Amino acid sequence: MPRLNSALALQRRASKYGWIFTTLAVPGIFLLAPLLGLDLNDQRTVELIVLLALLVSGLNLCYGYAGELALGQIAVYAAGGYVAGYASINLTSDLLVGVLLGALIGPIIGLITGVPGLRLGGWSLGMVSFFLVLIIPDVVRILKSYTGGSAGLNGIKLPTLFGSTLSQREMYLFIVAIGALWFAIMRNIVVSRRGRALLVMRESPLLSSAVGVQVFRAKLVAYMVGAIPAGVAGALLAELDGFITPEYFSFSLAIAVLAATVLGGRTSVYGAVLGATILELGPLRAGSFENYTFVVYGLLLIIGGALLPRGLVGLGRSLWRRFGPAASRESSGVVEALDPLVLHGSVLTVEGVSKSFGGVLALNDVSIEARPGRVTSIIGPNGSGKTTLLNLINGFYHPDHGTVRLGDQAIHRLPSHRIARLGVARTFQTPIVSPELSVLDIASAGRDGLAPSKLLSVVMRLPGYRRVAKADAHIAGQALQRVGLAEQASEPSTSLPLGSRRMLEFARALAVSPSLILLDEVASGVDEDAIAELAVLIRGLAEAGATVILVEHNFRLVLEISDEVYVLANGALVASGPPREVAEHPDVIEKYLGTAPMAKDAE
Amino acid sequence: MVTTIWAGLTVGAIYALVGLGYTVTFIGSAAFNFAQASFVMTGVYIAYLGLDHWKVPAVGVILLATGAVSLLSVIVQQVAVAPVRSHDSLLVTTVGAATLIDGVAQRLAGDQPLQVSFIFPNHPTTVFSGRVLPGELWLIVMVPLIALFLTVISRRTLVGMAGLAVSADNDAARLFGINPKRYAIGSFALAGAIAGLMGVFVGPETSAFATLSSAIALKGFVALALGGFRSFFGAALGGFACGLSEAFVARYLGSEYQTLAVFALLLLTLLLFPTGLLGERKVRTV
Repeated sequence: MPRLNSALALQRRASKYGWIFTTLAVPGIFLLAPLLGLDLNDQRTVELIVLLALLVSGLNLCYGYAGELALGQIAVYAAGGYVAGYASINLTSDLLVGVLLGALIGPIIGLITGVPGLRLGGWSLGMVSFFLVLIIPDVVRILKSYTGGSAGLNGIKLPTLFGSTLSQREMYLFIVAIGALWFAIMRNIVVSRRGRALLVMRESPLLSSAVGVQVFRAKLVAYMVGAIPAGVAGALLAELDGFITPEYFSFSLAIAVLAATVLGGRTSVYGAVLGATILELGPLRAGSFENYTFVVYGLLLIIGGALLPRGLVGLGRSLWRRFGPAASRESSGVVEALDPLVLHGSVLTVEGVSKSFGGVLALNDVSIEARPGRVTSIIGPNGSGKTTLLNLINGFYHPDHGTVRLGDQAIHRLPSHRIARLGVARTFQTPIVSPELSVLDIASAGRDGLAPSKLLSVVMRLPGYRRVAKADAHIAGQALQRVGLAEQASEPSTSLPLGSRRMLEFARALAVSPSLILLDEVASGVDEDAIAELAVLIRGLAEAGATVILVEHNFRLVLEISDEVYVLANGALVASGPPREVAEHPDVIEKYLGTAPMAKDAE
Repeated sequence: MVTTIWAGLTVGAIYALVGLGYTVTFIGSAAFNFAQASFVMTGVYIAYLGLDHWKVPAVGVILLATGAVSLLSVIVQQVAVAPVRSHDSLLVTTVGAATLIDGVAQRLAGDQPLQVSFIFPNHPTTVFSGRVLPGELWLIVMVPLIALFLTVISRRTLVGMAGLAVSADNDAARLFGINPKRYAIGSFALAGAIAGLMGVFVGPETSAFATLSSAIALKGFVALALGGFRSFFGAALGGFACGLSEAFVARYLGSEYQTLAVFALLLLTLLLFPTGLLGERKVRTV
């Protein structure tokens, strides 16, 4: 244990100061490069790489982390360029003003297109934002008096900073510095509980809303923030070249940005630099090669998307994990000693709820009550409405009739993230895991909605953020220890077998410190030993004071640990009472137990 | 005025066509296939080759375009859709397939638009006091017929209902002995066949050029958004609505506003009627 603890401390220190190193060292090389004899041509190449990397990085945030492919980065790039160019001609040649305007225009476009684009989910945002690229030439033509029309915007003044004109070299340094600043911001956003919450949301928006995250809002914010570097890059381009034309902002470039994202690795910070560098040195620069760019991009997207979903950086990471030094695996989220588990349960009262889907009555006038300190089980054959009932309780559905109350509060009209924030935790039948999320990450995800960190506090790593993050890790680590997964805390969550994944679901619910916990078939597909372990855990939750609702097929487990059992069949309550009583109820024997083995098989 | 209506319906038919193709693969394999418009473009190129270059008889050209594009569509399904595990990578790979097809077309045929003949005589006539080409009328009539055909096979036949089942719940469908893989391939073959066949009718209207597809891919999506995402008639109506608004805006405000108007229409529809004007509400499940 002491060894693990020191490893943990080391990891903490590394994560506290490591970013300062990476964000200073890498750009430092480029900042010093001119002194080492970088000629103007190479300087230009580096500048273009930085601009492209900014575009790609914004897409990474939106697509790689928030899971929303936004193909309109080029349109924001154009907008940033035109706004900064116009300001340079008509207001001031100060570079900072241009950059600031570029940074502002991004989120504005993001808001206008994001709100409608995200309404439907799926591919809508991708298509809506791609459409932006289509209208660039028209908008430039319509706003001809501001943009110079298709002839291009001429006469952008030489950039100045605080009144003095920048030399080419100074402009180079400025661009690299802005790039470094963005990558520091990006790194702090994604390597944080907020970044982790985004990844969880990408894997399962449903889980996110069940732990209290406002999915729509989180996606919109990621899309808007991801547009900032694109707008800034546009401003820098206008200031750098002193001239822009709509031809710069072509479909071809939009595809190049996507290709760089896919190639570098969408879920990484510096993959953007890698992807941008490869494209800038390859297809975007080559002359004779030019005619084949679309062919090359097309192949890149198909091969990358189908075979390398995590790009070159992802490939490197998995190779490192396999062949790299084993030491890195040891750092783990193990916590010193277990705090006593104290949970404050609330009474759940479901009264006369009905719910139908397209004419099919899934629940018909169902009433149940679950009290703190007790395990209340809901059993019934497949299609009897058990999971529908859980979905009604945690706000995925709203009842057609009837009420759901938690303590004194009516919750049946609340959205699921609000209900989650009242301390309602749930597990899912299909455990949610991802290669990019560690076991500890998944357990911590339970806390994502409880104390949302302000973006600024995340980016600046303010004390408030550190405190919350530390508390998260502590509580999630304890939850893992309770379910026996502490040793695997830093392993990728996909490395766990099914039984352990169910335990992980359980740990995530536990990390919420729930008042009401909804367990959806936690024992299915789990071996006998693990079921015994689960039984102890579930009883432990109730004894700690929580209200526990268990939806389960395993009748023996239900009999063993329940205080109260409700039996559903065809959406209606057939019986309820203490387990022994229910087990002897004739309707139950006929309707449920008689078909139990079959129902189990079908699952 | 009536001429503008004809013009709007004609481009609308093209958008509707792409929207119908999206819907076919969406229902048959739950995949959004961005390359659908590139399939139509390929059909247009084949029409050019067959009619204007090789001088093949019309029936031969129709069969060739239908068969070849159907095959292309199945290849795309096998290479860029089937191997993709995560849902959000599908847009990447199908955009990739579209880019690749466009790129190859550009390499082979060059940047200049190629005039495509129509399989029948195509002299302008006057219908309801608006000028229109017979080829345009064919387009306008055939698209609703295709929508009708697709609706009938999806609602009235076992094959179609199985497809609906696949798109609703892959695992459940498998339980009933439906093979989702075969349906995915079948739906792409069908979407490709429609694109190829109609490429012959679209060609005289648009000419053949490689950058044709990206714009109609996006406007085909608008057709879908207007009509709801799982309805063939919705996609057809959405396409016509999109084409009409484009034509009228171009006539009364100027051509630089036409695409912008379609975009505004898209944003407003998503904002006010997120499931489309004819769409059904989707129920969320765990």
